[in-house]
Amino acid sequence: MKLPPVFRLVVRNFSSNLDAITVLIRFGQPAITIVVLGTMFTTIVSSNVTGGTSYTAFLVPGMVAFQMITGGIVSGNLFWLDRRWAMTEQIFSGPFLRSEYLGGLVLTTLLFSLVGVGVMILVGVPFIGLPALSVAGVGMVLATVALGSVFFAGLLIALGSQLRSANAYFSIQSFLQLFVIFLSTVYYPVTARTPKLLAAIFYANPLTYAANTIRDAFANSFAGTDFEALGVLALLASAAFGAAIWGFRTLELGPIQ
Amino acid sequence: MAMMPDGNVLETKDLGYSFAPGRFAVRHLSLSLRRGEILGLLGRNGAGKTTTVRMLTTLLPPTEGTAVVLGQDVRTGGRALRSRIGVVLQAESLDFVTVERNLTLYAFMWGVPREEAKTRAEEMITLFELEAARHRKPWALSGGERRRFQVARELMHDMEILFLDEPTVGLDAVARRRILRYLRERARGGLSIVFTTHILHEADLLCDRIAVLHLGRLIALDTADALKQRHGGAREVAMTLESALSPDLRLDLGQELGKRGATLLDPPDGFPPPVNQLAFRAERAEELLPWLTQWAQVHGLSVERLSVEEATLEGAFLGMIGDAEENEEGKTGSEPPPADHLPPGRNGDAS
Repeated sequence: MKLPPVFRLVVRNFSSNLDAITVLIRFGQPAITIVVLGTMFTTIVSSNVTGGTSYTAFLVPGMVAFQMITGGIVSGNLFWLDRRWAMTEQIFSGPFLRSEYLGGLVLTTLLFSLVGVGVMILVGVPFIGLPALSVAGVGMVLATVALGSVFFAGLLIALGSQLRSANAYFSIQSFLQLFVIFLSTVYYPVTARTPKLLAAIFYANPLTYAANTIRDAFANSFAGTDFEALGVLALLASAAFGAAIWGFRTLELGPIQ
Repeated sequence: MAMMPDGNVLETKDLGYSFAPGRFAVRHLSLSLRRGEILGLLGRNGAGKTTTVRMLTTLLPPTEGTAVVLGQDVRTGGRALRSRIGVVLQAESLDFVTVERNLTLYAFMWGVPREEAKTRAEEMITLFELEAARHRKPWALSGGERRRFQVARELMHDMEILFLDEPTVGLDAVARRRILRYLRERARGGLSIVFTTHILHEADLLCDRIAVLHLGRLIALDTADALKQRHGGAREVAMTLESALSPDLRLDLGQELGKRGATLLDPPDGFPPPVNQLAFRAERAEELLPWLTQWAQVHGLSVERLSVEEATLEGAFLGMIGDAEENEEGKTGSEPPPADHLPPGRNGDAS
């Protein structure tokens, strides 16, 4: 039986671009962060700062939110490499539509980040025990990570569709990654002592919404702001996906460096 | 679905692509391809060969004219059209897995059943001499291996037309010959092939017909033999006589040849002319041979050996491009070529 084209492309994306080392680094880096950074900072950071929990318990939901960046980067890079090695053109000359290729990238992103969510929770369990996730909480975590992944994937795909230089693409991607992660509440909370300008930037960062919503889901204590955050993420994801579609429509095939 | 005359699998009429207002990569391209035919697209760099292939494979929408491939308009045919063709692009396109996995993965993408894909992968690995590279990843392959792999990969699925954009670049003569022979066999089985190359000798060997593009325009479309015949240019004729040729007779012959548009070739400076040999260049060398034999008889000379340099496609190609460049001088560049620029009765007709 022939799989639908989108699923064939997803299988191809995983088979051709995700080798064991890439997967290990993508999941291993945040996992090591939980183990090392969590353990070390738990000994020096007061639980008053992290809302009454250990630093590791604060960090694990942050690393779960981090998976939306990981998933986004995976498909952004995958698309870039396909362009660089003319596989985009080769695929478009075959029995596939551009929309299917884009759909395949988004599905790859979702699968990768959702698997990442599972891995982060598994790594965190020995340190913080099972999170108090209700069924609604699980849905909230998955929806948050899925929307966040689509947002970052859309952003990087749109970027990758317009650039013709690997240096430019990877420099912007690295800068964006650094900026988004360090100016969010993944590693540290915004407190009353946070400078106002930084706090404003933190709250403009979608990763902050995601991390805070996932923390609330882990603690099974939803607030109205979590649903608002989800709504904003949905809007941002739609906008980024729209940008990716525009990027595909205006995509110039041909050699890039 | 567009209608096509019986036997034609591809037809273009005044096909063109403009990349900026008034600037055309291809213009007024009218040609056709029959089932099982191999059509060579020749031209200098930037002549429009790759643009033509990209339009015919739906990668680039034409800005003017029409192109119907397998009954589908290239502008609207989309997936239905692409699922019946194969394309080997000029650019290297690779996935980061081993050669063997690349082949089976590509077959999977095309929906080829797993067992069949395995069998085909083995066939292709043997046929394209990729056994040693089977477990290597693309970056560990030589340039020739990559190119062979790329052609092999495209042949993992079924198709009715195969577009090959310079598939033999970087291949050694043995590998090239092997691939050409295989393509010829596939064409006998009904596969139609559009083939671009800069290696004119292989176009001569492989192609049933050849289309020559210059600055985006079709300047000739015919069989290799007909093109050689018509545009072969001046060729060298060498004659060896059984006895010596006196200086007076040599002078007389030179004048007679000159009247017939031929040029007697002098030996290099400082070398005396050989006593019983002479050589000249003429546009229609064969037509002069009976006259030359008669001239020798009249002067009591016996011809020991008479040979005419073989017409090559390269000579014809250079002649056509030279003529086209001369015609281009003084033109604005946006007018269609005059009707007589194409060989009579060959304006893209399949006949």
